Amino acid sequence: MALPKRIIKETERLMNEPVPGISAVPHEDNLRYFDVTIDGPSQSPYEGGLFKLELFLPDDYPMTPPKIRFLTKIYHPNIDRLGRICLDVLKSNWSPALQIRTILLSIQALLGAPNPDDPLANDVAQKWKEDQNAAIETARQWTQEHAKP
Amino acid sequence: MNQYRQKYSLAQSGELAHRKSIPPSKLMVGHDFSQEFKDQPALDPHGDARQLVRLVQCRSCSKPLSAPVTLPCGHTTCRACLAPTRPRDNISYPNTPDRQYGITCKICDEEYPTVECSADVTLTKVMEVVKQTIARVQDTPEAPVCVLEEIPVSEDDVHDSNDEKELTSYQGHRKEFRGGRLHATFQMASDGELRYNSDVQYRASPSDAQIHAHLDAELFNGLREAAHSELDCLVCYNMMLDPTTLPCGHTFCRHCLVRVMDHSSICPICRAGIHIPPIAIQNYPSNGRLVALLKSLSPEHVQARVEALESEEDNSEGALSTPLFVCTLSLPNTPTFLHIFEPRYRLMMRRCMEGNRRFGMVMYNRSSAPQGDLGPTSFLQYGTMLEIINLELLPDGRSFVETRGVSRFRIKAYGQLDGYYVGNVERVDDVPIIEEEQLERQEVLEAQAWADAYVLENPQDPRTPENFPGLLSTDELFRRCIGFVEQMSQRSAPWLSSRIVNVYGPPPDNHKTFPFWFASVLPIAEEEKYRLLATTRVRERLLIVYSWIKRIEGQRWPSGNSCSIL
Ligand SMILES: [Zn+2]
Ligand SMILES: [Zn+2]
Ligand SMILES: [Zn+2]
Ligand SMILES: [Zn+2]
Repeated sequence: MALPKRIIKETERLMNEPVPGISAVPHEDNLRYFDVTIDGPSQSPYEGGLFKLELFLPDDYPMTPPKIRFLTKIYHPNIDRLGRICLDVLKSNWSPALQIRTILLSIQALLGAPNPDDPLANDVAQKWKEDQNAAIETARQWTQEHAKP
Repeated sequence: MNQYRQKYSLAQSGELAHRKSIPPSKLMVGHDFSQEFKDQPALDPHGDARQLVRLVQCRSCSKPLSAPVTLPCGHTTCRACLAPTRPRDNISYPNTPDRQYGITCKICDEEYPTVECSADVTLTKVMEVVKQTIARVQDTPEAPVCVLEEIPVSEDDVHDSNDEKELTSYQGHRKEFRGGRLHATFQMASDGELRYNSDVQYRASPSDAQIHAHLDAELFNGLREAAHSELDCLVCYNMMLDPTTLPCGHTFCRHCLVRVMDHSSICPICRAGIHIPPIAIQNYPSNGRLVALLKSLSPEHVQARVEALESEEDNSEGALSTPLFVCTLSLPNTPTFLHIFEPRYRLMMRRCMEGNRRFGMVMYNRSSAPQGDLGPTSFLQYGTMLEIINLELLPDGRSFVETRGVSRFRIKAYGQLDGYYVGNVERVDDVPIIEEEQLERQEVLEAQAWADAYVLENPQDPRTPENFPGLLSTDELFRRCIGFVEQMSQRSAPWLSSRIVNVYGPPPDNHKTFPFWFASVLPIAEEEKYRLLATTRVRERLLIVYSWIKRIEGQRWPSGNSCSIL
C-alpha cells in the first residue's frame, strides 16, 4: 500500500526542521517504523542521558495514535519495565490533529515532569511518593548506567 | 369506548402525518462533489478579477469578510453582519443554555443555535493572508491607472435591507487606482464602494491593460502561495477536499471527517463534541466559500484529489464485511448474552475475536415480510452491531459470549460465508440535533393546530396530551416515561426487579438512550421493540415508547371502556 501523503509530509518535516533534543528516523525498509532518540531534559534526573525509543505508525494512523515505547531502560513512574508509556495523548486523548512531533515533545515533557499520581510502574510511583529524593537519585543512576550517549 | 379509541387513533395518525422529514435538497449543498468539479474552468486573474474578489466579499456588507462566521448551512458572513440572536421557542431537547438562542442565516433563512455559529478558523486565516498579500502591493505608483465603474445589478434574491426603490436609485461608484484589476477591485470593495452583486467595467488603454494583466497574474500567484498552507487539512495534510466546517468552526475534508467519526465524535482540533451522526456528515453542507476559493486558486489540485479518492472508494465499496448472527433482538447500549454451539457460529466468533470483535445481530423474519430491496429474506433488515466484551470458551468448543450493542444498521446487501450470513451494512443514526430541534418545533405546532381544529368540531373532547400525545414536548415525553418507570418500580413490577436492573442498569437519564433501555426490560413482543431500530430521531423513539406506556396503563386500570385500545 502506498504511504499516505500525511506520513510523507510529517517525515519530511521531522528531517528538515528537527526538534532540538529529539530525532526520529524512519527505517529504510519500513517507512512506518521510526528509530527515535530523546535527550533527557536539563534539570531533570534524566539530564545527560540519550534515550532510544521505537515508534510505529499503524495502518489507520492518524485515526489511531502511533505506537511507541522506550528501548532504553528508564526509571520513571509513568514508564514501565517494558518501556510502555502512560500518556493520555497516546491513548484516550489522541486526536488526528496531533502528530509525531507533538507526541515526542509530550514524552520529552513527561521526562521533565513525572506524574506519580497516574502511574504505570506502580513500584516506581510508590517510591516516588514515599521518598522523592531517593527515587530521583535512582533515576539519575539508571540514566548514568543505561542511557549513556 | 369506540369513541375514545377512534379519538386516540386519530391523534396518532395526526401525529404520523406530522412526521415530515427535511427535504434532502436542503441538506445537499455538498452532494455529488465530483460532478461539480468536472470541467470547472479556472478563473483568470485578469479577466475574472471581479468574480475573484466576490469570493471574499460579504453578502451583507459587501466588504471583504471580516471575522467570518460560517453557519452549518455552509453560508458565511462577517461576525458583525450576523442577524441578531433570538430565543428559540418550542424546543425542549437538548436543553442546554447555548442552544436556547438562535441566529438566522440571512442567505437561506435557516435558524441555528448560537453554539453552532462559531468563527470560521480557516477562512479567518485565509482572509488575513489575503489582506496582507494585497496590502504589500498597495503602493504601485509606477503602474498605469485602472478605471473602475460599478454596474449595479438588481437581483430578486438580494437579501439585504435594500428595497426596490433604493436599488433602482443606486448609482454605482467610479474609482481610479494605480495597479492591476485584482488589486483595484479588492480596494474598491474594502472602501465599501462595490456592492456584492454589482459588476465592474474596467477601462484602460490596451497597452496599460497588458501591464495590468501581468500585475494581476503576479498578485494571483502571491495569493495562491500565501493561502495554500492555510488550506491544508490537519488530518490528511493535503489540500482540503470538499471542505466541511464543523459547528465549532474547524474545517476538514469531508471524507477525513467521516473517518474521524468512525473513531470518535469530537473535533480533532478543539475536542468540541460533534452532534452530527456520521452518516449525516455525507450530506452535511460544504463550506461554500472555501469550496469556491479552492476551485479558483487550485482547480488542478482539486481535480487530482477527486480522482484519487474515487479510485480509492471503488475498491472498498459494497464489501460484505459484516458477519450476521440471525437470532434475537439486541438493542444499542444494552448487553446481549449468547450461548454459541452451532459450528458455523463458532467459526464466526473465532474470526470476530481475531478481527474487530464485532458482528451484526438480526432477528428472524417470522412473517416473511419483504425487507426493502432485499426481498423476503429469512432475517429482518435492521439490526444491531454487537461488540464482544467477553468470550468464555468451554472445553467442548461451545462458548458463552457477553456482548454489548454499539450501533444500529440496515443491511444493504448480503451473502453467505462458510454457512453464516455476511452483509454490507449501513449505519443507522439519529438525524443531526439541529434537525431534531426543528422537527420538534414543527410537530408540536402542527399538533396544536390539529388539536385545536379537532376540538372545535368535537367540543366534548378535552384538548389534553392524553388525547393528543403530539402536544407533548420531547422533554415532557421523556419525563412522563421516567415517571412511569418510577411508579412501576414503587409497585414492584417484576420487570424492574433487582435481577433485571443488575443486568441492564438503572434507567438512563438520557433522552436518546432511554427508549432502548426501556425496551430491553419491558416484557412486550420483540417485533414491537424492533420498531426502535429503524428510528432516526429521539422524539420518534420516545413517542413509540410512550404509546406502549399508554397501552399498559389502559390494560392495568380498565377504567370505563378504554380497556381494549389498540
Ligand atoms: Zn459583512
Ligand atoms: Zn444559510
Ligand atoms: Zn483531509
Ligand atoms: Zn473544533
